[in-house]
This record gives sequence, structure tokens and C-alpha cells, in this order.
Amino acid sequence: MTEPKPFVPGWGPVKVIFMACLLGTPMFWACAQQKGVKENTPEIVTPGKQTYTTETVVPGLDIPWGMAFLPGGSMLISEKSGTLIHFKDGKKTNVKDVPEVYFRGQGGLMDLELHPRYAENGWIYLSYSSQEGTGKGGNTAILRAKLEDDRLVDQQLLYKGVPNTTRGPHFGSRLEFGDDGMLYFSIGDRYNRDENPQDVTRDGGKIYRVRDDGTVPDDNPFVNQADAKKAIFSYGHRNPQGMAKHPDTGEIWVHEHGPRGGDEINIVAKGKNYGWPKITYGINYSGTKITDDTALPGMEQPFYYWVPSIAPSGMAFVTSDLYPEWKGNLLVGSLIFQYLERCVIENDKIAYREKLVPDIGRVRNVRQGPDGYIYVAVEGKGIIKIIPN
Amino acid sequence: MKEANLLLSCLALAFVGLVVMQSFKNRDINVTKDHLQPSALEASIQRGSVIYEGFCARCHMPSGEGVKSAFPPLAQSDYLLEKREESIRAVKYGQRGEIVVNGVTYNSIMSPMGLTNEEVADVMNYILNSWGNKSDAMVTVEEVAKVKKQTE
Ligand code: HEC
Repeated sequence: MTEPKPFVPGWGPVKVIFMACLLGTPMFWACAQQKGVKENTPEIVTPGKQTYTTETVVPGLDIPWGMAFLPGGSMLISEKSGTLIHFKDGKKTNVKDVPEVYFRGQGGLMDLELHPRYAENGWIYLSYSSQEGTGKGGNTAILRAKLEDDRLVDQQLLYKGVPNTTRGPHFGSRLEFGDDGMLYFSIGDRYNRDENPQDVTRDGGKIYRVRDDGTVPDDNPFVNQADAKKAIFSYGHRNPQGMAKHPDTGEIWVHEHGPRGGDEINIVAKGKNYGWPKITYGINYSGTKITDDTALPGMEQPFYYWVPSIAPSGMAFVTSDLYPEWKGNLLVGSLIFQYLERCVIENDKIAYREKLVPDIGRVRNVRQGPDGYIYVAVEGKGIIKIIPN
Repeated sequence: MKEANLLLSCLALAFVGLVVMQSFKNRDINVTKDHLQPSALEASIQRGSVIYEGFCARCHMPSGEGVKSAFPPLAQSDYLLEKREESIRAVKYGQRGEIVVNGVTYNSIMSPMGLTNEEVADVMNYILNSWGNKSDAMVTVEEVAKVKKQTE
């Protein structure tokens, strides 16, 4: 989890503004307006009365990362530590023969996704940090397998980022199928922002697009570029840990952790460059600048950015009729501020932001189940269901 | 009288200049000396700073001040400075549940980070000797190896 610290504008700018007023010097004002310092709008709202209750449906989890709802009402849950749990009739069973994870830093067993035709073919997709290949360390791997008597069988490694590195942060991990039947997934910049995100011949800092068997489709953007990683769909990302298909447009939406400030939502498009680290609304954790630019030609602007950082993880659109007020809204987990964010989208903008389940704990993932309910994966707690009144 | 003043000022300036130059010179000498033969502790601190940046800074902050009510400080942390074994255990295996740091209670989770014993020793030496913290007793790989997971 790459999670940036929140960048909360503190007293510094306030003092500066105060002094600017006193001295009447416009120069000071300019300082206070420095980019990255200003909180982005709309401001988040915490409603006075709650229109829902919560119920812990799966208790006792550490860092639940992926959730997959199996036909018949059972559920697969991945724990970052490397255990895959099959939760059925109120009982947890550890699935056997799970690939060995490179447990280090932000890596581990990560996301889960079912094939869109799971009922027919039984394919389950997993992402995890792996030491596969040469070189010390690890990188993100994508694998598919089937579940048989609580064992993972027919395992096929579909993709493995290179090179291996002992750096701890930024594995990415999210998996999502598009309307085109392709599997989209993210690999973070592996904490090598100077080499990886802007270079399409290298892994890391990318969104990838492959067929369900891992092969590269002919219409991927860089298939004709020599040396390019052909599975790349878009680049210039930092550490995307949320991905969801828009229910109406079919577009793939991702969000990614920024540095200090500058978490972003991006609607990924073929071959586009999302700018990291050439452009960003964030700064280094230490407070120093990364770049002067928030926009450059040939680089996409985010759909939305968070300053301060909320450390987003998990993403889902509400489509079910159980929450009429929330229909069409975007849900995003916040690790650092420990709530679920509900974003209302109007005219291609985030028009309203609201805190759901305030102080619930570090929200790692959110999904809408086949029963229409919203399920939230909370670190140190478990899976929590949101039940409307 | 005026000339005397001027002379005094010049003398004072020259003196300040000398002192400043001397201190620069001293620093240069120190740097070269350190560079030539870094002590085992200094080398460990150096390696630890790289680990710190990649594994710890995003929560505990680059200057170890932590984040109010979310991540406890390491700079001037009484917990870190007084509970050496517990701190090593926290970095080696992760830490959860209630702990009190500088009078503030935290009840949160630091998940294990998969560091080797050597890396734990290095990062411990770094945090024990940064931001005003000081500890002459070096954390060694052997010491880290001896720290066992708390049986729950
Ligand atoms: C994901 C955020 C996170 C990361 C990354 C992290 N910590 Fe922590 N750390 C915490 C939290 C939260 C606690 C308090 C846990 C509790 O409440 O029991 C803590 C407690 C500690 C403590 C004991 C309390 C204190 O402040 O003295 C030490 C020492 C420590 N961490 C060192 C480290 C070191 C060294 C690293 C990097 C190798 C690191 N931490 C990485 C969140 C983090």
C-alpha cells in the first residue's frame, strides 16, 4: 500500500497569508498560493444523520485486499500476508496451493477477480508480488487458476513484471475485466519513478491490457513499437490501487496514490500518458518539490485529484437499487483517513464528496456484491456490509 | 575614535571570517575521515536511511515526527528510546494494539514489512540516531535475530 501521508495544509500558509494582509505585499500572497498547498474542492461532507447501518460479515481479518463473490453465496478473500480464504456458511477455510508471495513492504497476495464467464469456465485471477525469474527481490505477477476442493489448480502465470527489486513500495495490483473481454491490471512504479513510469520499454507505473489467457491483443497501443512492453495500455502512473469499469460507458476508471498530495482518478485511454512524475499535484513526503508542472502537452489531466492525499484503495460504482440515493456514485476507500468516500459525479466532474462509515479503520477495498449490497474490506477488522435503513 | 571603531569592526569581521573558514576546514577533514573509515555504526546508519525512506517515511514522516493520532513519532519517542527490544520486535514482526508513545495512546496496526535481520538492524540504527535521537549501543544482526515474535 503505498500510502502517502496526508498533506494537510497547516499553519504555515495561514501565517503567510496573515503576514501578507499585514504588510499588504502581494508577493507573500503568491507564496501562499504555491501549488500543492491548496486543498482541492469540493470539500468532503460528513452528514449529520446516517441512513445506513453496518454489519461485520467476515470478522478477524488482517489486511483483506481482494474480494470475489462466488456463485452460491460464498466468497474468496485474499490476505496480504499470503492466505487465500474461502468463506462459506460462516466458516473460513484456507485455500491450498496458493502461489508463494514475496512478502515485503507493500507486496503480498493482492487482488482477486473472477472471469466474466466464471460460471462456465471457473477462472479466478490473482495478483501478487513474486520472486519468479532472475534477480534479487520481486515484482507484480498476474496468475489465473481454478478452485477445486479448496485448492488452486490449473495455475497459469499470465504476466510477471521485471526486473525484480528489493524496493518495498508500489506494486499496484488491481484487476478488472472490460466490456471488450480484456483483463486490465495495474503495476505501480516499484518506487523507481525516474526510470519506470515514462518508459514503455519498462514495466511499472502502467495499466496493462491482455486477453483472458494472458496473450496480448493486436490492437494494444504499443504492439508495433520495438522493445515496448506490448501489454501496456497506458503509462505515467504511480501506484494505482483502485480500478472499476464504469457501468454505463464501460470505461476503465482507476485511482492512484500520489506522493504527498496529488492522489488521482484517471479514466484510462489507449496509449495515453498520465504524467507521473513529470506532472503532479503532489510534492515529496519531505516537503520538497518533484516538479513545477501540473500540466504539460501530451500528458493527461486527472479526472479528479485529492489534496490532501486520502491514500485511496479500492473502487466501485454503485449500481444496485438498494441504495437509490447513491445510484451511479463512485465509492473509494481511504486508508489514511479511515472512511469510505462517496463521490457524486455531475457533468463529468466530482460535484459532491461525502464520508461514509467515518473512523471505521483503514479501508483497503470496496465492492458491490451480486446481492446488491456494498462490502467494505477494513484492515484489522474484516468485511463489513453496508445496510440501508 | 571613529577610526578605532572602524578598526575594531574590521578586526571583528576578520575574526568571524577566520572562524567560519576554520569550521569549514574542520568539516572537510571530518567528512574525508568519515569517508575513509566509516565506523560499523555509521555504515549501518547509512544503509538504514535508505530502508527508512522506502519503508517507513510514508507513515512516520521523513523527519520522524509521525502523523497526529495515526502514526506515532519516532523522533524523541520515549517508546523507541526506552523499549529497545519491543521496538526491534515491532519493526521485525509488525505491531498492533494499544501502545503509548510520549503519553499518547495509539491503537492501530503496523503490518510486518518483510525486512531481513540486517535491514532491521540498519533501520533501527538509523532511527535511533536521527532527529535528535542518540544511542551509542549499536543494534547488531545477532541482537535482532534473538528477538522472537510475541506469543499471543
Ligand atoms: C503503514 C504505516 C507504517 C509504516 C510503513 C511503518 N510504521 Fe511503524 N508504526 C505504525 C503504527 C500505526 C504504529 C503504532 C502501532 C500500534 O498502535 O500498536 C507504529 C509503531 C512503530 C514503533 C513503535 C512506536 C514508536 O513510535 O516508537 C516503531 C519503533 C516503528 N513503528 C518503527 C517503524 C520503522 C523503522 C518502519 C520502517 C521499517 C515503520 N515503523 C514503518 C505505522 C507504520
